[in-house]
Amino acid sequence: MKVPYSWLREYVPVAIAVEELADRLAVTSVEVERVSWRGVADLDGNFDRFRVGRVLEAEKHPNADRLQLCQVDMGEPEPRQIVCGAWNFGAGATVAVGLPGAVIPGGMKLERVKLRGTASDGMIMSERELELGQDHSGILLLPNDWEPGTPLADMFALGEPILELEVTGNRPDLLAVYGLAREIAALYRLELAPPPGTDPELLADEPVQISVEDLVGCPRYVGRLFRDVNIGPSPPWLKARLSGAGMRPISNVVDVTNYVMLALGNPLHAFDLARLTEGRIVVRRAHSGEQMRTLDGIDRKLDPRDLVIADASRPVAIAGIMGGEESEVAEESDSILLESANFERVGILESSERLKLRTEGSNRWEKGVDPYLAEQAAKLATELMVKLSGARWVGHVDVQGELPAPASITFRPERADELIGVPIPADEQRGLLERFGFEVAKDWTVTVPTFRTRDVTREIDLVEEIARVHLDEVPFTLPARRAMWGRLTREQRLRRRIEDALCGLGFVEAYSYSLVDSDPDPKAIRLPDPLTAEHAFLRTTILAGLIRSLQRNLDAGNEEVALFEIAHVYLSGDDELPAEPVRIAGLTWGGFARAKGAVEALYRALAAPEPSFEPARELPFLHPLEAARVGETGWVGELHPELAPGEWGAFELDLGALAEVACDVVVYEDVISYPAVKQDLSFVVAEEVAAGSMIEAAREVTGAELRRMDASDVYRGPQVGEGKKSITFAVAFQSSERTLSDEDAGALREKIVRVLGERFGATLRS
Amino acid sequence: MDVEKLEQEAASALEQADSLEQIEELRVRFLGRSSELKLALREVRDRESGMRLNALRQRLEAALEERRSDLEQVELQHKLMAESIDVTLPGEHFPEGHLHLITQIRREVEDVFLGLGYTIVDGREVETTHYNFDGLNMPPWHPTRSPGHSLFLNGDVLLRTETSPSQIRVMEAQEPPVYMISPGRVYRRDTPDATHSPVFHQVEGLAVDRGISLADLKGTLLHLMRALFGEKRELRFRTHFFPFTEPSIEPDVSCHMCDGAGCPVCKRSGWIEMGGAGIVDPNVLEFVGYDPEEVSGFAFGLGLERIALLRHRVPDIRLLWENDLRFSRQF
Repeated sequence: MKVPYSWLREYVPVAIAVEELADRLAVTSVEVERVSWRGVADLDGNFDRFRVGRVLEAEKHPNADRLQLCQVDMGEPEPRQIVCGAWNFGAGATVAVGLPGAVIPGGMKLERVKLRGTASDGMIMSERELELGQDHSGILLLPNDWEPGTPLADMFALGEPILELEVTGNRPDLLAVYGLAREIAALYRLELAPPPGTDPELLADEPVQISVEDLVGCPRYVGRLFRDVNIGPSPPWLKARLSGAGMRPISNVVDVTNYVMLALGNPLHAFDLARLTEGRIVVRRAHSGEQMRTLDGIDRKLDPRDLVIADASRPVAIAGIMGGEESEVAEESDSILLESANFERVGILESSERLKLRTEGSNRWEKGVDPYLAEQAAKLATELMVKLSGARWVGHVDVQGELPAPASITFRPERADELIGVPIPADEQRGLLERFGFEVAKDWTVTVPTFRTRDVTREIDLVEEIARVHLDEVPFTLPARRAMWGRLTREQRLRRRIEDALCGLGFVEAYSYSLVDSDPDPKAIRLPDPLTAEHAFLRTTILAGLIRSLQRNLDAGNEEVALFEIAHVYLSGDDELPAEPVRIAGLTWGGFARAKGAVEALYRALAAPEPSFEPARELPFLHPLEAARVGETGWVGELHPELAPGEWGAFELDLGALAEVACDVVVYEDVISYPAVKQDLSFVVAEEVAAGSMIEAAREVTGAELRRMDASDVYRGPQVGEGKKSITFAVAFQSSERTLSDEDAGALREKIVRVLGERFGATLRS
Repeated sequence: MDVEKLEQEAASALEQADSLEQIEELRVRFLGRSSELKLALREVRDRESGMRLNALRQRLEAALEERRSDLEQVELQHKLMAESIDVTLPGEHFPEGHLHLITQIRREVEDVFLGLGYTIVDGREVETTHYNFDGLNMPPWHPTRSPGHSLFLNGDVLLRTETSPSQIRVMEAQEPPVYMISPGRVYRRDTPDATHSPVFHQVEGLAVDRGISLADLKGTLLHLMRALFGEKRELRFRTHFFPFTEPSIEPDVSCHMCDGAGCPVCKRSGWIEMGGAGIVDPNVLEFVGYDPEEVSGFAFGLGLERIALLRHRVPDIRLLWENDLRFSRQF
């Protein structure tokens, strides 16, 4: 909503700088996007250099076919000679002249110049050059009763600040200049002018044929009939206001409907009576299969839920949204039927969404327009129609359904104090509500004005009315707590520990979209109507996102890429909503071994017992043979070589499963008092024997005194023979109760040699 | 044997010695197995001369040791002086990890509220319209209910459009008082550009207790904003409209770039919009079975990306999703 300041000031005598007003409104009432300017800049006497001129003579420029040479009376002793490129005028025309030194909108400064050898002492301005509208087909023609030499600024708003507002859905009353004026009057305790619009004399009593078949969709329809309408351009003051409000002036009748909508907030429509079948209006739902061409030239298929304005035979407008081309007011229109109606908001909203058609009108209807406003809007429109188009007002009808009675609410001023957190004297609250248009009875029964009925229905809504004016006075306090128990949950603590551990291992945290173009899981949830095909599935694994990021990093030439991400995945099941476990995924240079090392380090960081690593096949994205299940937690593996050049290791673990094995409280074990006996043991085994199974078997037979057994080297070669390998284990024997003797260590070692020999055919190399 | 003469001889020889080798030679000469003193000690028969010669031996040993220690210091100094390095050469390389900027900010916010005694709730992302809209007092015609704004799985299930549904789930699950925040991903049907992403992060805050007021909201948000943007920040409220709060406000924080003087970051206003907030609408409290006459609450929602972009002057939200290490390693 764009509000020209001078228009606002017609209704409320606000005298402060517009920026100051904007700041106040932004806090208490409505978001202010910016304060802009329309028209001529008001600096340093600039307004004075734009004046009314009367063309005394106009003829072709002697040296240029496309220019006119004019003598213009500027109210000065001598006429000025002005060269002009337009031809829509001749001698006798009253025009707008910018004198030398004037700065025109856009910033150009006019000079006394020679055009094709002839001096030009000013410039005759077009509508667009003065920012009064879009017309640039010729110069602006002014009323002939304007005196030459009169400053244009005395006749209309030559240039002025514009308040650009972003009105929230709860305040449709502020989608009107008068509504905003009412708000400002209340805030600054200023006197508000009475609502604009006074009926002129009704000159006849012609019947106006309106039938409303759907009083729910259209609770009110004021129809007024005008004869002898002269369609023509609007006067400059009206053009200035419409342009300032961001609307294009079209013709006096259309401009009046727009002007009234902007002034009061009630959209209107004007029909050419001659083009309505039987001159009649029927408000009804569309028949199925009905079509019409709207003013924007588009053929619209109508839905039986759409409310339409029809004549005796066909729809002529989509109610509240847009008129039809066939009943549009045109230059030759002579009789006008003016609609000042009220439409139910949700129906308009739904039709507007169905048709994907949003207009200034629909924007207001969908937020809810006061049904009591229709009559005042009709008055203002009638006054202006008669004044601007010379029309005769000859007919009136007001069809009403049941209009809502004003709501009343019981209000407790002390309740406002409690919720706002600052005491505001009750009489001040009463005064404020009254200035906002509420009636407040002695017992604090509050009657809501009809222009606020949608927004204000409960006590809490009245509290907001008080609060918004006192926001700057609200002090800074903290809740007075009686109980404190804030701490991270166990899973949250573990998640942080994992994040920190992975960072410590050199991994950089990545974030990728949860929506992906495809997913390896055939049960992955597909969005029926995704944003794009790239965002069609909810992922069941995070790895795909990391692979994408890896590729981007490789393209950028980044080295030592190691990424991790912790996020939800989405697993569909039998419930209405999918399970959303948190997963930890990593992708690193260095292949399987480095990824596995990271997983092992992660387990140690969580003080979790070392997991088992079972070979796993056919995991998505991984090398078919270089992949393992990690306990019950997830997997680790070598990235499939098709997915990225080089050797990349990957893992994905479930946070919940990790939490199951993570140890919260580590109990001390004596690894200090008694020394460990360290040995290296090398065994020759068949190629397919896994080191992990050998360690497992050794542990079985030795118990706790086998403190460590790590495979430290694998050797293949002629010395061990074809199909065999030698695995060296770094072994440490240690007791927490005594010093182990050489005999003790020897016995333990013997047990290991025996069990590995029995189970795996392993022979100890000496 | 002339003790004095021997002692003098040893003293002057020690004084002239200037290497550890010479000290060793002197030790052999004066205290070695075949030295004059050792031989004399072997010959001793009476107690008195034994004491005298032993005393001399101790003195000689001490003098020798002292001189050796001095010379060792000198030699060490020489050795160190020969070991100069270029300290401007880089140290050994360690790959360093980084938390994502949003994680860093999420933790900062979490820590502020943990300090205030709040719990942290990890809400779910796929939600029902019941929790995403109905519970939040969103009327049936509200635009975000339309597939044009939100991403639906079916008519009743969608990707949550804000973190607010976790409010409802938390309140349904427990009696007041409630003090919680809930950070997480939210989804809108927005085409990615410099300031929009179909997936982004919000943090929801909710406090419900006896006597909660707008003042409590103001103090809480000021505390948070100072933690995030510095101790000099100020906070103001602007009126706004949200279905789930009444009164609704938008908090503005004084611009951290210009301290409120006006600059391009704050669009010359001195203030920066930080999200939405307000007093929990009584309809929301009633929806979860709380009595709005007994308890009141405040709620707020902030965008974590917005904080990152503003505070770290990141020009494009997409950088946060590309995971280019040249970007990530800056933070």
